[in-house]
Amino acid sequence: MRKTGRRESFLPRKVRQAFSNGIVYLLLLAGSGFMLFPLFWMLSTSLKTMEEANSPRITWWPAEPQLDAYRQVLTDSRWLLYFSNSAFVTTLAVLGTLVSVAAVAYAFSRIQWPGRNIVFFLMLSTLMLPYQTTLVPQYVMFNKIGWVGTYNPIIIPGFFAGGALYIFLLRQFMLGLPKELDEAALIDGANHFQIWWHIILPLCKPALATIAVFLFVGNWNALQAPLIYLQRANMYTLPVVIANLINPQVRVQPWPLIMAASALTMIPLVIVFFFTQRYILESVALTGTKG
Amino acid sequence: MNPKLYTLLWAIATVAFIILSSLAVASVAKLVARWRGKNRLYQSRTFAGYFFASPWIVGYIIFVIGPTLASLYWSFTRFKLPAPPVWVGLQNYIQLLTTDDQFRVSILNSLYVTLFGLPLQLATALVLALLLYRRLPGEQVFRMIYYLPVMLAANSAMLITWRLVLNPNNGILNTLIRMIEGVFPFLVPVRQGVVWFTEITNAAFLGLQRGDFNLLHQTLARGLPGPEVMPLWHQSQLWSKPAIILIGVWSCGTMMMIYLAALSSVPPHLYEAALVDGANGWQRFWRITFPMISPATFYNLVVGIIATLQIFEQSYVLTDNGGPAQSTYFVAYYLWRSTFRFNKIGYGAAMSWILLVLILILTLIQFRLANKWVYYEYEEA
Repeated sequence: MRKTGRRESFLPRKVRQAFSNGIVYLLLLAGSGFMLFPLFWMLSTSLKTMEEANSPRITWWPAEPQLDAYRQVLTDSRWLLYFSNSAFVTTLAVLGTLVSVAAVAYAFSRIQWPGRNIVFFLMLSTLMLPYQTTLVPQYVMFNKIGWVGTYNPIIIPGFFAGGALYIFLLRQFMLGLPKELDEAALIDGANHFQIWWHIILPLCKPALATIAVFLFVGNWNALQAPLIYLQRANMYTLPVVIANLINPQVRVQPWPLIMAASALTMIPLVIVFFFTQRYILESVALTGTKG
Repeated sequence: MNPKLYTLLWAIATVAFIILSSLAVASVAKLVARWRGKNRLYQSRTFAGYFFASPWIVGYIIFVIGPTLASLYWSFTRFKLPAPPVWVGLQNYIQLLTTDDQFRVSILNSLYVTLFGLPLQLATALVLALLLYRRLPGEQVFRMIYYLPVMLAANSAMLITWRLVLNPNNGILNTLIRMIEGVFPFLVPVRQGVVWFTEITNAAFLGLQRGDFNLLHQTLARGLPGPEVMPLWHQSQLWSKPAIILIGVWSCGTMMMIYLAALSSVPPHLYEAALVDGANGWQRFWRITFPMISPATFYNLVVGIIATLQIFEQSYVLTDNGGPAQSTYFVAYYLWRSTFRFNKIGYGAAMSWILLVLILILTLIQFRLANKWVYYEYEEA
């Protein structure tokens, strides 16, 4: 028992170190392969011909990569409409949610007001509430006011600081800013709106960017609410369209086209993640340690 | 009218409404403060605080409190839009908990994914975090690659890609498995064992769910599957839940990042002390690392259970409406289906309350059990 940890090996320490690092690298590479191979398969299939994509023999990479599927998607006015629908919904929802979340986080971190702790506790308790509890009655409400079949139900609720987790994240960030900032500005005669907009928000850019990305991903990927509320095909967002692309009636599916559309849907997510990954990964770690 | 313009106008109206209602709430709060005889500074802080918090307060009343109370009422009614709700007492709950087979199947399926999927997810996340924790050059890139699936996993585009990847005939996953087995032939019997185990457990589970053990008898009678039998993934009721678990494991990046943060917070002097005492790597992991990161495990577990109970996209896209043979009906999916496909509003409301109570009970149990195994450092200090 005593010796097991530091058994003397005939190999020098450096060699053993290099050997164990090599094994770790191999494992890391295997893990990366597992994470990336579905994406590789998406890309490869999107460049194939229909025969290659549907034949029982595996074609790893098409002999002659075809861009037909991409051309077909990008020149089809319906697909362009779906893209613009998704972009519209996502942009408006992210903007409205971000600004209102920033305002509420400011109230919870930089102002002392009676009832703050109670309201904050209520807000945190909504984290436990499953999405489904409000989904059903909200549908009835939106149905009553004639919003079913419009984009309103999937965009407008966010304007009321939708997302307790984001308020919490931003509040933590704002709590970390020095108190003297607001005090000096207040003495200079600035009001809270000016302090919020001109002093606090510019200092929160990394946190705001992170939250914007999370909101972007959530709205861009959203399937359930658009399925419920959007009823005409010309209003569909990309996930709704793609979810229904497979036609169970036919034997041969247009896989290259489906994969090209999927790849085009994924690209904005990948680009956004690539440019903001450092902030995102940091704040994900934060939610675990502080939550 | 153009639907986008329509919503844009409504968005502007909403912003105006939020500002006005915030002013109103803040003014009332300030008046109350004045009546209570507070000074000017207190009054102005009260005004500002309520003004900035009002978007959430107003939203909470409109979109959470109101709907939640309404849903509680409707859960005791038979309600099909556009007809008004009819009071039926506890009938919805009784039907859900006793006679509705599909609901029982959904609950048990959710439980299956929690019992088998979540531990696999946690283990994978922990292993990846331990590998990354070595801080080898290039670690940043690997971290990025491992987190990327989290961003993509919920999109139907990704799930439809998985359908292609998992295709049992010409899908790439089964082909990859065969290729790897070509290099390491000793893996073939391992895979046979895994296939056998998965099919038996799933057949047994399906039997328990439906009270019909024919499938289990057939699977048992077939014995150990031959080397040519590959997983059928989303096309078989014995493999559809494992397929969904596989995607969950694929997108375990959030859990991994939380583990990674926890690993960095383990004080190094503990390891040094253990090394002096001659503990080997295995002992160091189970005696130091694992207890020290138990708060992260706990957090991942609580969040993970809530997330598994809400699986929806996978049932809708990957397995084509909860198939095959309802083997991927989950609570959130069945709720969506009966409420919005079959217009059973009252029934769906009752289901959402059962889901809420279920989440509360599971979370409560976990907090209770947490005292036994989660280690918080400040208790020592």
